[in-house]
Parts: sequence; C-alpha cells; structure tokens
Amino acid sequence: MKLILSTSNIMGGGPSVIRRPTVEKSNTELTSSLRANFAAHQLAPSSTRPPIGIPTAPTRKPLQAWTAQEGSTLYIPALDVSGSALAEERSQYDITVKLFYLPNIPASARCAHTREAIDLVLRSLGVKSIDLLIVSFPGISFDADDSDSDADSPTTTTTTTTTSDPSTDPSAATTPDDFATMQQTWQAAETLHSAGTIGKLGVAEFGVQRLTRFLPLTRVPPAVDQINVRDCCVVPKPLILYAREQRIELLTHNDCTNILPRGTLRELLGPGEKGAAVLAGAAEAAEQGRLKGDVEPLWVVKYTAVVKDRGVVESKGYFAVAELKEE
Amino acid sequence: MSSRPIAPAARPLPFICARRAPLDKQEFLLRMVLVIGTPLDWPEAKKVASHVRSWGIEQLLAIWRRAKGKERDALLWGDEVEYLVVCYDDENHAVRLSLRQADILMSLVLDDTLPDQGGGVSGVQQGPVKALETVPIFHPEFGRFMLEATPGKPWGIGFKDLLDVEHNMKWRRARAKDHMDPTEYPITLTTFPRLGTKDCTTPSYPVSGEMLRSQFVPDEIANPHIRFPTLAANIRFRRGRKVEINVPVFRDEKTPWPFRDPTVDYDLHQWPEDDDVRNGAAKDGCIYMDAMAFGMGSCCLQITFQAKNIAEGRKMYDQLSPLGPILLALTAATPIYKGFLADTDVRWNQISRSVDDRTREELGELPLKNDRWRIPKSRYASNSTYISQDPRLRKEYLDPDLVIDGDLKQRLLDGGMDDLLATHFAHLFIRDPIVVFTEDLRVLDLDKADHFENLQSTNWQHMRFKPPPPGSDTGWRVEFRPMEIQITDFENAAFSVFIVLITRAILSFDLNFYIPITRVSENMETAHIRDAVSSQKFYFRKNPFPSRVGRPANTSDTSSPAAISRPPSPLGPVEDEYELMTINEIINGQQSTEGGFPGLIPLVESYLNSMNVDVETRCELARYLDLIRKRADGTLWTAAKWIRNFVRNHPEYQKDSVVNEIINYDLVKAAETITRNEGRDGLAVEMLGARQ
Repeated sequence: MKLILSTSNIMGGGPSVIRRPTVEKSNTELTSSLRANFAAHQLAPSSTRPPIGIPTAPTRKPLQAWTAQEGSTLYIPALDVSGSALAEERSQYDITVKLFYLPNIPASARCAHTREAIDLVLRSLGVKSIDLLIVSFPGISFDADDSDSDADSPTTTTTTTTTSDPSTDPSAATTPDDFATMQQTWQAAETLHSAGTIGKLGVAEFGVQRLTRFLPLTRVPPAVDQINVRDCCVVPKPLILYAREQRIELLTHNDCTNILPRGTLRELLGPGEKGAAVLAGAAEAAEQGRLKGDVEPLWVVKYTAVVKDRGVVESKGYFAVAELKEE
Repeated sequence: MSSRPIAPAARPLPFICARRAPLDKQEFLLRMVLVIGTPLDWPEAKKVASHVRSWGIEQLLAIWRRAKGKERDALLWGDEVEYLVVCYDDENHAVRLSLRQADILMSLVLDDTLPDQGGGVSGVQQGPVKALETVPIFHPEFGRFMLEATPGKPWGIGFKDLLDVEHNMKWRRARAKDHMDPTEYPITLTTFPRLGTKDCTTPSYPVSGEMLRSQFVPDEIANPHIRFPTLAANIRFRRGRKVEINVPVFRDEKTPWPFRDPTVDYDLHQWPEDDDVRNGAAKDGCIYMDAMAFGMGSCCLQITFQAKNIAEGRKMYDQLSPLGPILLALTAATPIYKGFLADTDVRWNQISRSVDDRTREELGELPLKNDRWRIPKSRYASNSTYISQDPRLRKEYLDPDLVIDGDLKQRLLDGGMDDLLATHFAHLFIRDPIVVFTEDLRVLDLDKADHFENLQSTNWQHMRFKPPPPGSDTGWRVEFRPMEIQITDFENAAFSVFIVLITRAILSFDLNFYIPITRVSENMETAHIRDAVSSQKFYFRKNPFPSRVGRPANTSDTSSPAAISRPPSPLGPVEDEYELMTINEIINGQQSTEGGFPGLIPLVESYLNSMNVDVETRCELARYLDLIRKRADGTLWTAAKWIRNFVRNHPEYQKDSVVNEIINYDLVKAAETITRNEGRDGLAVEMLGARQ
C-alpha cells in the first residue's frame, strides 16, 4: 500500500515551523509539521480543530475517520484541497518545489515519482504549473572547504555525515547517485519542463566538478544550484565563476538531503509516544484498523508559494510518500 | 524572487512622506525664499481649531471612501536618514553645528542635472541589470543644522534591493558631503552633544529670541520657513510657558550633588517665559532644556511600508507596535545633552517633552475649566491604539482610558468608518492644529489632505498609519518611527533591512505580538533606562503563533467590522499571554524554556529559509542579522554605551558628567571616523565587531 503523508499549509502552523532553526539544520520542520497535522486531524472533533500541540490526548479518532483510502493509496490525513488553493491570481506567485529523492530508489521508479509529486502539489495549490523545481539527489553534500568533495566517488563518505544522523538510521549513510541515475531521473523533470508544467529546473548541493560532468548530460540544464545556507559566505570562487558563466543561480536552502530516514518515518507513524499510531506495534495485533508491516520512504516534496511583489510566503507544505509492505 | 527588477515605476516622495511632496527646482526655490501663507498666532489659531479638525475629518472620510477598497499594492518601502551638519574649527579644537541647511539644500538642488533623471527610468523591466540609479532626495528638517535624505524611489522586496540600501545610504552621505564646505560633515549622531551650550552654532546668534524665547538656543536654530518657528511659538503659547525638558544627569564620581544645572540663568528678564526657571521649571538632578530644538533637533531612522491593502496596513501597524520599544532600546544612541552625560540612553522622551503643548489643565495640574479633557500623553508619544480588525485583538489589549473626541468619532461612524479606525482618528484629533494658514480656511477641498495632515502629522507616535495621499497611486502605509539613528550606514542599513524582514515574517507566519497597549507604553519608558538593552526586561508576548492549522483562504477580506467582536475560542487571562523578557530573549529566542519565545532573528531566518535567496545576498543579510544578534546579547555595544564609554575614558573628562568642548570635538571627529571606517581601523569594534 502507498502512504501519502501531508502537512497542509504550515505557514500558519506555528510551533511546528520554528524551533531554533539556527541551532542545526535538520528535518525538524518536516517531522514536526507532519506530527502537528496528524494530531490536528485525529484529535479534532469533526468540524473544528483544537489548538495544536496535544500529542497524546486520550480520545483519538479511529484511523478510518481521519485518513482516506483511494484504491491502494492511503492519505494521512485525508487530503482536502478545497481550502488550500492560492488566494490570488497565478501570476502573482513564485512557486518553488523541491523534490527529495531518497536513497535506494531506482531511477526508473523516480520518473513516476516526479510526475506524482508535481501532480500532488499542483492539485494542492490549485494551479497548473510551477516556476522552479529543484531536485535533491540523495547522498550529495556540498563542502565549501574541500574543492574535491563533490568528486564522483562512492567512497566519499564524509559527504553524508553532515546531512543526516546515521546513528538513528543505518540507511542514512548513503553513497551518491551515479551520473547515469541522475541523468535518467533528470529526464523526467525535463519532460515536465517541456510540457510547460515547470518553468525552471534546479539541483542542490552540486559543486563545480559535479556540475561540469552533469551539464553535458542534460537537455534542459539546471538554472539553479542550491547551497546550504551554512556555506553561503564561503562559496568557493570557482563555483561562483562557473555558475555565472553557465547562468546558474546559486540559491540558499536549509534542508538536509536525507530528509526522511526510515526510522524517523516509523516513529512518526508508529504507536509510540511521538507516533500517530497509524502502524500497530510489533507485539500487538492489527487492532483498531491499524496497519501492520514495514514502511519504506520513497520521496518527499516541499512546495512554497510566495506572493512575488510582497515577499510574503502564502503557502508552504510537504508531502511524504512511503510504501507499506504488509506482512 | 532573487533577481526581480526593481518594482513599479518611480513614485518618489509622497510614498514616504505625504506632506512633503517632491518639489521641482523652481517650486523648491520659491519655498526657500517666499512665505507661502500667513500663519495665525495661537489665540487666532485656537479659534479655528474646531473648524480645521472638522474639515480634516471630512478629508479623511473622503480619502477613506476612495481608498478603502484599494487592493494588491506591492510592498514598497523607504527609509529616512537624518543628519546633523557639523562644522569643525580644527585650530581651536572645537566643533559647532552648521546652520547652512538652506545653502546646502539649494546647492543640492541646483548643482546637477541628476534629479531630472530620477523617476521612470528604472521602472523598465530590465531583469537584474539596473538602469540609472535614482538620485536620493534631500529634505529640510526642523533643525537648521539638519538634513534628511530618502532614496530617490522606494525599495521593493527583491532581495537585491535589500543589498542596495547600504550602498544608497553611503551615496546619500557622500552627496550631502559634496555640497558642503570642506570643514563641514554630515554625521549621524542623534543629538549634537553640546547643543544649547554657548557658541554651539556657526554662525553664532544671540539666544532669547522672540519665537523660541529659549535661554540656551537662538531662534535661528530652527528652519526659517515660517511653519517651523510658528510651530515652536504656538506650542509655547498654547502651553502657557516654555516646553520643559528635564533629563536626569548621569551621576559620576565627582558630579556635584545635589546636581543643579549650572548653565541655567535665573536672572534673565527679557520675556515673561523667563520666569519659568524661577517657578521651578529646572528640576534638581536634571539637565534642563527649554526649546523644541532640543527634541525635534534629534536624528532618527524611520521606515515606511506600503501594505497591500488597508487590512494588511492595519495589521502591520498593530503588530509592529509592540516591537517599538524593543528597537528603541536596541538602537540606543543618546547619552549626552547640553554638554552633560545623561542617565538615560535614548532620545524619545526628550522629543516628547520638546513638543508638549498641553496646558496645565490638560496635564492635570489645574482643575479642568477651559480645556476639554485631561490628556495623559504628549503629541509625541508611544501609540495608544490598536486598529486591526483581527479576531486576535482582544478588548483587554486596548487602553481603557483612551481619550477621544466623541463628536468626531460619531462623524466618522456616520460616514461609514468602523469603530476601531474611527476611535484611532478620534484619538489623534483630540489635539489642536498648531500651525494654521489663513489662506487654507477659505474653501474645503475634499481632494486635498491638508487639514487632515495638519493633525495627523503633528501626532508623532511611534507608529503612524498613513492613508493614501489623494491624487496618487500610493497605497496604505505604515511608518515605524522609534529607532535612533546609528553612526554608520552599515548599522542603519542593518536595522532598516531587519525591520523589513520582520514585517515579511509577520505576514508570512501570521505572527501575533499583541500585548496590552499600556504595556507597550511602559516598555517605552523602560527603554530609556541606561543600558536597558542589557539590564532591563520588557513585556512581550510568549507565543506569537496562531493557534490554528492553516489560515483563512482569503485574508484580504476587510469589509466586516463585526469580525472583531467575536472571540475565537475560550481564552485564558491576558496576563498569562505575556511575560517580562530580556531583549536578548526577544531577539534571539528563549533558550532555557522549551516552547519559549522563538526570537525575532530565528523567525526572520526561518522566513528566509522559505525564500529563494541567492548566496551573496544571504551572506550580506547574515552580516546584518549578526550585528543585531550581538547587540541584543550584549557582545556588541549600543552607540549610547560606546559614546558614554568614550567620554568617561577621555583624558579631559573630570568625572563630573561634563562633556566639554575638547571631548565634544574628539567625539564628533571619532563619529566621523567610525562612519568612514566602520570599525575596520579598530575604532569602535566594541560597537561594530570585527569587520573585514
């Protein structure tokens, strides 16, 4: 079964959005806003929503009451796009989407994921196109101090340590994709670009070497390269020059590449203290309609709609999609 | 987002400052030379006060009717930087205020062809390449030793615009300097440290003139345009005595105690007002000042924003209001008055007293007989109203003792205005118009705003809600007024950009900073305390986040005045919503408590993380945020602390609170050096940090 997790618009969501974002870059925004959205839906009386931040209230609605199943897809919570459309005309917005491919997913599957992700965002915002898609490949991390860090070497393990916490999830120690995989993945995005669904394409955390090798493999070259904000003042000169020459805009971000490790996902959906109890515990039977099985995260997409000439973020949210392998 | 061309076509000055429309050269010259009308003396002006008020209200209603449905205006914003023009006398190790404002302004206007290039040019959609930068605009100010400069056209929210601010400020200063004598320099100290001492201006004039009747400063200290001396004279006249500014003196080791201001002349008999000091106007322990110039001669850093519509403007007005005292304390830069170290750090209350036109009855010193009401605050004071039709605005936040003109409020209500906004303007309109020109009283022109502005722009609160000026495309605006000017353009840009980013975070996250407005006023007082930034706590809301997931689909709905009366859900006591916090906690976040206030800088960074910002811009913004972060946590000093420290460690300082001419000269010179080098030479690193 496929699970589609969503956050709704997190801009009005408060505490889940900001907790000391400067202390460490992390996936806290994703996990806490998912958690808050689950809580808001499963604890609320049918019409109004209570204040968020009540993780373990005694009266939880049964799973069926706050999620929705369509065929073999389960929406957690049920997706309601009626109130999430943008308020003004499409032309007023800059819509940026960042798609996080996760480790160990074959490129062939990613092409379908890309279309799916864009489709969910379009539906959610009530629009027909987005302005910028940034794709984030797993295991790539730009290192400003080491000009060779983006060399295509599977043995380069230092690149992963800053982006995720391997101690909580063994799959986090990821080797970067090879170029053939990236090329194949990119083609799906190029197709959507050609169809007019996406205005510009971008990559994240690419250094000069990686860009140099990647560019010839593309039909629509990246117009954007996102660098972690931590490095914004130490971007090496060669990259600045190369980017200028290739007309690639160097933008900043504050995400980690391995944004949803398997352990984190299990915890989010599990029966524990911080979980939404979508999944049944290991020992218990599948009571109350809870699901049993193993979850594997497939991809995560983040979308942001900014009112252009006012600099106001009107809508921002995530979808995270996983495969439930039922036992 | 990051490479947007500069927003719409030129919309120069009315945007930032409605009452001073851009002048073409000829008009400018005319105004400099000619008197544009006959101002009424106070007894005459008093007679027509109600007349002006009621015409002002009609003009307001006309503006409101025309513009209340104005929608989708872009964010445009502008900063105003004010300068003191000083003149060095190196031979005598002295520095004085230059009173050549008119000459300098004239020279700026006449000099070059640049102003003709302003406007229009840069509106062309050109991508990131900017055409010609629009030349900055200079304005006269109250003090004849002051200049004010604004960008040639408003800024947008394109992040590259934000980076132009500092460069533009430097350009403004360079341009100003280019039109000065070699001995002159435009410095951005809030006040001239020895204003009001003997021989503090050039040229020098005798004190005790007819308009100000000050025993410390000559009439010539004020801008000669008839409006300004009339303003000063009528305030004095209305009040029944001179304005009275007593600042506690900083008591140092050898300060004579009890301190009685040694510069006060008790034997002057030129004007009836000379009796003031014999009647106890000068208070023990205080530096005493007696003229508008001591307050209105201060330099500030003010930011004006255009909102997308009236609802957003009202929201920004409310949400920025509680930030006022915090930014005042954070920008503190005013530790010296009239040649003495003061025991306070900011200018605010001194300006407040320098234009306080309240009578003894209004002040509560005499029983009400001739006047209409007691008025708790000066015309220049912290805000007393909230105006947003926001369900989060609880009745408990409003001032229960707010004074309003009930008749004028009724007129506004009858005209269709909602209660909150009508209350706001009925509060501003309890004042009398101070300067009235006979010529303006003949016909009521509903396509103008002169009578409305007469009251509106002589209510100097720390926020100002500005309706669109008639006959222009400008939208609803909000002005943020509490900040003190900083010595360097780097700092001024940092604070300007910070406030802009805060407004974007407020709107994006739908933040809620409401606390009772009377607490904001208390905070304003707290901000005056010496080193308040490190030593004091301020009332601040604990949880700024909305208590709901998602947001209403259309937040621009403005039309239902009933919205306010509906309490959203059961709410706890208002007192539980806020607590006393340090500036560090407010700016950088409460680290100790889980779920504590997140901090304004983390909120801004979180906003920036949601935006596409290029690396170079983000790096520059990081410099600005870093300055503010470190000012708040005490790593870096405020200008007030730095100046106080400079004086106390000067070899000429006698530990007696006196800032003599030599110290003054060295201090002003140091300020100029700091402006030029911004700490790169090691001077003032305590204030600016190590700069590259």
